[in-house]
Amino acid sequence: MKKKPVSVYAEITDENAVKLASDGNSEAFSYLYEQNVKRIYNYIYYRIGSEQDAEDLTARVFHRAFGRIGSYEEKGVPFSAWLYRIAHNLIANWHRDNFRRREVSLEDQIDFPHHGDLPERMVERNQEKEMLLKAIRNLSPDRQQLILLKYLEDLSNAEIAVIMRRTEGAIKSLYHRSLLALREELEKNEKYHVVEK
Amino acid sequence: MRFGEVNMTDGIDQFNINNLWGLEDRLSNVLRPVTPDPVFVDSLKYRLSRTPTVLLEQSKKHFGLAAILIGLLAGLLGYWIYRKIQK
Repeated sequence: MKKKPVSVYAEITDENAVKLASDGNSEAFSYLYEQNVKRIYNYIYYRIGSEQDAEDLTARVFHRAFGRIGSYEEKGVPFSAWLYRIAHNLIANWHRDNFRRREVSLEDQIDFPHHGDLPERMVERNQEKEMLLKAIRNLSPDRQQLILLKYLEDLSNAEIAVIMRRTEGAIKSLYHRSLLALREELEKNEKYHVVEK
Repeated sequence: MRFGEVNMTDGIDQFNINNLWGLEDRLSNVLRPVTPDPVFVDSLKYRLSRTPTVLLEQSKKHFGLAAILIGLLAGLLGYWIYRKIQK
């Protein structure tokens, strides 16, 4: 009688995956990869605005994590916090190496379909989106990280505090200052566009 | 403060809060998760599963040294056979 194939992840759970991966279990690392690849890609994509570079940096994050997982120590912090930290550092290096920041072109944008929209309305939406993303990327790295974690990951201040190694109160205050700075950036850009027209 | 009076400071704060809330709505609309290319996701997973945890790089020097030693031994053996035949 043939045995029913057992999933490779049958014994790997959220709780033991990190321990198994740090002991050299490659299936456990694959499990962690699948759990985190989308969020790390999203984080990088919105920080740098290019699909190709986001793929390249995402690959580097996981290669680095794979190479260092043996020395990873669990401190009650989610594994994703460690990955975000690696991503954060690699993005900083990327910005340093790409002195001239790349602007996101309309072609690079991922369009969210708005069925029934007139072409002018779609262009308007894209312009608004481009302006907002540009303003976000002009914020300090910490502020960008906070906004992206809050809106992309839908994390609470307490969860973000763990990832960013700050207190919940500090995150709350940083969030408020980030919104104020973002509004200032948008006002600057809007004025610039009015003058340009 | 009596009914009908307007507290200017509160008014400004309220304006700021409403404005920031508007900004939050804009952020929610724009910052939506994107899906990475599945081909990229699968190929990276494959590459990671094929990467050994410790990379043992074999030195090319060893290959060179072995080739020289084999050459020398073959030469000595040939010379020894030649001397035997001569005798």
